Amino acid sequence: MLLSKDSLTINNLAENFDMSRPAVSKHIKILYTAGFIAIEDIGRERHCTLKQDGFNELQKWISYFDEFWTSKLKRLDALLNNKLVN
Amino acid sequence: MNKSINHQFFFPNPPKAVWEYLTNSELMDLWLMKNDFQPIVGHEFQFRTGPKPDYNFDGIVYCKVLEIVPFEKLSYSWKLGPGDGIINIDSVVKWELKSKNEGTELVLEHSDFAIMENLLIFNSMNEGWVKNVHKIIDRLNAASHGTINT
Repeated sequence: MLLSKDSLTINNLAENFDMSRPAVSKHIKILYTAGFIAIEDIGRERHCTLKQDGFNELQKWISYFDEFWTSKLKRLDALLNNKLVN
Repeated sequence: MNKSINHQFFFPNPPKAVWEYLTNSELMDLWLMKNDFQPIVGHEFQFRTGPKPDYNFDGIVYCKVLEIVPFEKLSYSWKLGPGDGIINIDSVVKWELKSKNEGTELVLEHSDFAIMENLLIFNSMNEGWVKNVHKIIDRLNAASHGTINT
C-alpha cells in the first residue's frame, strides 16, 4: 500500500472516525467539490490531500480586515477626541 | 474554519456619543467609508472605497442591517466581490457598546467568514455533517504537517 506522507487514503480516514467508508466518501466528495481537497488515485487507493488555496484566500482577507479595523478604530478615536487636525 | 477578527477599544466618551459615529451616515464617512447606512433593521446599504484589484475587490461592500439595540448593539452583514453582482466574501460585523468608567468599551467582532464558492456547499449541509467535515479537514491538516504515522 503506497502512502505518501502528506495524504491520507479514504480507508485510513474511515478507520480513524466512527464512520462508514461510504459516509467518508460522501464527505470527501463535498470537500473536493468545494475545492478544499485534492484526490489522487494511486494504485487501488484514493489519496486525499488538503488544498491550501481555499483557506489561503480567506486568510488573506482576514489579515486584511484585521489591519483595516485597527486603523479605522484609531481614526474614530482621533475624531471623537479632536486629535485630528482637519 | 470559522475565524473571527476581534477588537476592543476604550473611548473616554459616553456610549451615546460613540453610537452616533456608528449610525450616522455622515459621521461614519469621516472615519470608516462613504455609505448610505440607516439604522433600520433590514436596510440594505453600501460602503464605498477604492478598489483593490489584487484582492478581486471592486471597492463596494454590500451590507444589510441585522440587529439594532440602540446605544448597545449593532450588526450588519458585510459582503464583497469583484463586481457585476458577484459576491466572493460573506461575513458579519457586530458592534457592542458597554458603559465603562464614564466612557465606552467598544467591542468589534467581524466573523462568520465564508468564501462564496464554498458557501453553497456548506449551506446544504446540516450541523452533523459540518462537524464531520471539520474532523476530516483537521485530520488531513495533521497528516500534511507530518504529525501522523500511518
